[in-house]
Amino acid sequence: MMNIENIDIKDFRQKMLDLRASGMDFLREMVGMDWNEEGLGVIYILENSATHEGKEVAVRTTNRENPQVPTVSDIWQVAEIYEREVFDFFGIEFTGHPDMRRLFLRNDWIGFPLRKDYDASEAINPVRLESETNEEIHREYDIAEEKQLAELVEKMKILHYDQFVINIGPQHPATHGVLRFRLSLEGEVVRKVDIHCGYIHRGIEKMCESRTYPQTLAFTDRLDYLSAHQNRHALCMCIEKAMGLEVTDRVQYIRTIMDELQRIDSHLLMFSCMAMDMGAITSFIYGFREREKILDIMEEVTGGRLIQNYNTIGGVQADITPDFAAKVKEFCNDQKQRLKEYYDVFVNNVILRNRTIGVGVLSREDAISLGATGGTGRASGWACDVRKRHPYALYDKVDFKEILHTRGDCYDRLLVRLEEIVESIHIIEQLIDNIPEGEYKTKTKPIIKLPEGQFSASVEGSRGEFGVFIESHGDKTPYRVKFRPTGLPLIAVAQKIMKKHKVADLITIGASLDYVIPDIDR
Amino acid sequence: MSFLNNTYIGNILSAIGSLATGMKVTLCEFFTRKVTECYPENRKTQHIAERHRAMLRMPHDEEGKNKCIACGLCQQACPNGTITITTKSVTDEETGKSRKVLAEYRYDLGSCMFCQLCVNACPKGAIEFSNEFENAVFDRSKLIMKLNK
Amino acid sequence: MIDFSSINSTIDSYLHSLLPAQVATLVECAIIALCAIVAYLVFAIVMIFMERKVCAAFQCRLGPTRVGFWGLLQVFADVFKMLIKEIIDIKNSDRALYTLAPFLVIMSSIITFSCLPFDNGLQVLDFNIGVFFIMAASSFGVLGILLAGWSSNNKFAMIGAIRSGGQMISYELSMSLCILTLVVLSGTMQVSEIVEMQRGGWFIVRGHIPAVIAFIIYLIAGNAETNRAPFDLPEAESELTAGFHTEYSGMGFGFFYVAEFMNMFIIAGIASTLFLGGWTPFYIPGLEGFNEAMEWIPGFVWFLGKTFFVVWLLMWIRWTFPRLRIDQVLVLEWKYLVPIGLLNLLIMTVCVVMGWTL
Repeated sequence: MMNIENIDIKDFRQKMLDLRASGMDFLREMVGMDWNEEGLGVIYILENSATHEGKEVAVRTTNRENPQVPTVSDIWQVAEIYEREVFDFFGIEFTGHPDMRRLFLRNDWIGFPLRKDYDASEAINPVRLESETNEEIHREYDIAEEKQLAELVEKMKILHYDQFVINIGPQHPATHGVLRFRLSLEGEVVRKVDIHCGYIHRGIEKMCESRTYPQTLAFTDRLDYLSAHQNRHALCMCIEKAMGLEVTDRVQYIRTIMDELQRIDSHLLMFSCMAMDMGAITSFIYGFREREKILDIMEEVTGGRLIQNYNTIGGVQADITPDFAAKVKEFCNDQKQRLKEYYDVFVNNVILRNRTIGVGVLSREDAISLGATGGTGRASGWACDVRKRHPYALYDKVDFKEILHTRGDCYDRLLVRLEEIVESIHIIEQLIDNIPEGEYKTKTKPIIKLPEGQFSASVEGSRGEFGVFIESHGDKTPYRVKFRPTGLPLIAVAQKIMKKHKVADLITIGASLDYVIPDIDR
Repeated sequence: MSFLNNTYIGNILSAIGSLATGMKVTLCEFFTRKVTECYPENRKTQHIAERHRAMLRMPHDEEGKNKCIACGLCQQACPNGTITITTKSVTDEETGKSRKVLAEYRYDLGSCMFCQLCVNACPKGAIEFSNEFENAVFDRSKLIMKLNK
Repeated sequence: MIDFSSINSTIDSYLHSLLPAQVATLVECAIIALCAIVAYLVFAIVMIFMERKVCAAFQCRLGPTRVGFWGLLQVFADVFKMLIKEIIDIKNSDRALYTLAPFLVIMSSIITFSCLPFDNGLQVLDFNIGVFFIMAASSFGVLGILLAGWSSNNKFAMIGAIRSGGQMISYELSMSLCILTLVVLSGTMQVSEIVEMQRGGWFIVRGHIPAVIAFIIYLIAGNAETNRAPFDLPEAESELTAGFHTEYSGMGFGFFYVAEFMNMFIIAGIASTLFLGGWTPFYIPGLEGFNEAMEWIPGFVWFLGKTFFVVWLLMWIRWTFPRLRIDQVLVLEWKYLVPIGLLNLLIMTVCVVMGWTL
């Protein structure tokens, strides 16, 4: 149960500035809310990156026609993209925000889908077959002195007609999915990046509101499919916490081991895809060859390779297979040898070093302000590992090192991933022989209802902090579910660090940030 | 060789060194065993995980009977509306009471997302996921199946 | 060993006895062109198949296995696929140049190909500035690539073409320097004479250190000339989708594809001619019996064996390294390869003048 402090909208800016000054430098999540007659609002979940102390505040406005909230994008950089998301789904205009456009939906979309009074009928928003036109101006809401409401005052060109504009994506081999970069180039050098998301936006948060709690589980596998297991772990943990359900030790062991296997899987894929994006296709195949072994192990236990469907409320779907431990140990031993090969063929290669060292540097301050958790943040020297900050499952009982690098460039981001594979293997080796006997699943009632209130849980996904926020009104369906995407802050990072680099570097930076599109779009 | 560090010649030599290491690795791999799986030629020897979820199935015993009691829990549990159950009433010959039995168990493989909630919900263990994964068809209507016999 | 020049002259005199002189020459030209193109295509097929299998082996895969035994018919299936593909009309493209571009590329490639000495006398063009001609002919292929990028009306193609222009023209320089180094060693520019001179020992052995350096630089520059990884920036599929040939479909693309592979064969062929003795067999001084046995292997087998070995080397490089960035490509050329190449030329000249060659 979260303790959320309500702030009056008049004191909001000052209060937020005070909070920032008191050391709350990491804006973990921004949850747009529609409380029906109580108005629209936003919940801000903040954290102090030094003391890991959290603070949740909420602001609300009763004006449904023209809801306006002052921006915090100048206080926390990541708010710029989060506020666009909230604007997109709730229509809350953030005054003072430099670029108030829709983030996921088409700009000719009518209505704000996550509002409770949204009309989803197809007559209003039919399937449009014509292509979307680019919005060519930034829209900014500015507060004029004498007026009650801020108005659209400034119009700024996004990209000028005389620039050499190219589209990388939505169908492009290096965007790892359907993401679109609009670039303005000067020769090979990128002058401006405008990122368009939402090509596979499925409205998962909206769908969750009409599903029972067990039914929402299946969606988490489809967010960041490379940390399917961790995502589902987070949601299960959140629901279990709300229900006051304790899971057995055996379940904790299995969940931790599977989380780490999934992390190795994801990091191997990151290594492989980075190799492919940089033209080293052979290294790509080597990485995938080993990833295949993890997938085989996972398939044997969970029945799925990508969509694993393993964690359930109160336990796991099925017990581990008898040969699981032996197979995992064999894989771990083999993988240590293989890592050396990766270093030889790709990581220590002079071409790679020249192409990545000093490219796309993200400073520690920016990493925190942009909320870039996971490998990206740790490469910049920010100790942001949830497993260390807020230990869950068995992470406070196992011994492992948090990999930190300092340069914050593409090379460090690659190294962090590869070194984390070693740490994950280390964690697995500590646990695999000691899995205690016990139930693999705690019995739950057939219909699960959460008590009223707001709940949150977060885990360390493969590419950053994955958080779940649930507001329950005591029904069998959640009132609002919000997933903290691990990838959306990375998009903000990309937009910031891609400038002034070459087109080839842009691909490298994209690969090193290691975003997964379904996670960004949800 | 440390005096050569970061000199013109030193850079060339270290570059050649790192490139040669890489080429050594690929040369070794050139002669290792290949990992390609020759599907579909290896259909007979291929190992499919026992828990692999490929499609929903309703097992029948030798007399052609299934365990389904048409309670509809699976239909309720399904997030996608993949399962549709139609029932009919039959009068039990012995007791003379009428009771609900399964008429048709319709399953749409095309909209199934293999979340296993139906299998978990079933009180009788009447449905399960099978391993038959070669389900490609040319017509979507072929994906709608009747599971009971 | 078979001397193909005698066979050539027999055919020549036979044709002249049948037909008037001009007609005979014309018929000879047609026959030779036909032979060259057929050989070109045959080698292209072999090269594409080899690339697939070699690449697969480096990547722990099997490569094509479906079409024909061991996938032998895969290339034919691909050609058939390309032939039946729709040729797309690009809006606002420069139609004439767009159509011309692939032909320029393949023309340059075929002309260079016909300068390769396959065996004693088995060579289409052989005259006193042969090496010079090869360099000239191979360098107008870049024109086709530039035109393809320009005329496609596609920004990716345009960037690819500009990259390719900068890259190929730069690397031409260090390639020429390497060839010059060998010309200094041999003292002639006629290809057949260069090969003939290596009967006593291949130039890579006779020229020792400078020749080995020249060989390595030549391989790097050759790789860059053929736009293959790690120098495949003009097509860099993860950046520019397909670079200069993004908008080509069907055989337009096929020509670029074939030309790329054949350029690699040509680069390897020139390398084996200049450095590895062309069609001359492998001799070990003193071992008469061994040398005689070597003599029995026909010259074109020697030539092809050496060429395909160099091709394999190039593939090995191609399937190991990540791609360079455009500024690094130019830095490598102008800061490393050209100065080293010039120095190497000087060393070679000194060696030759002082008689320090083997």
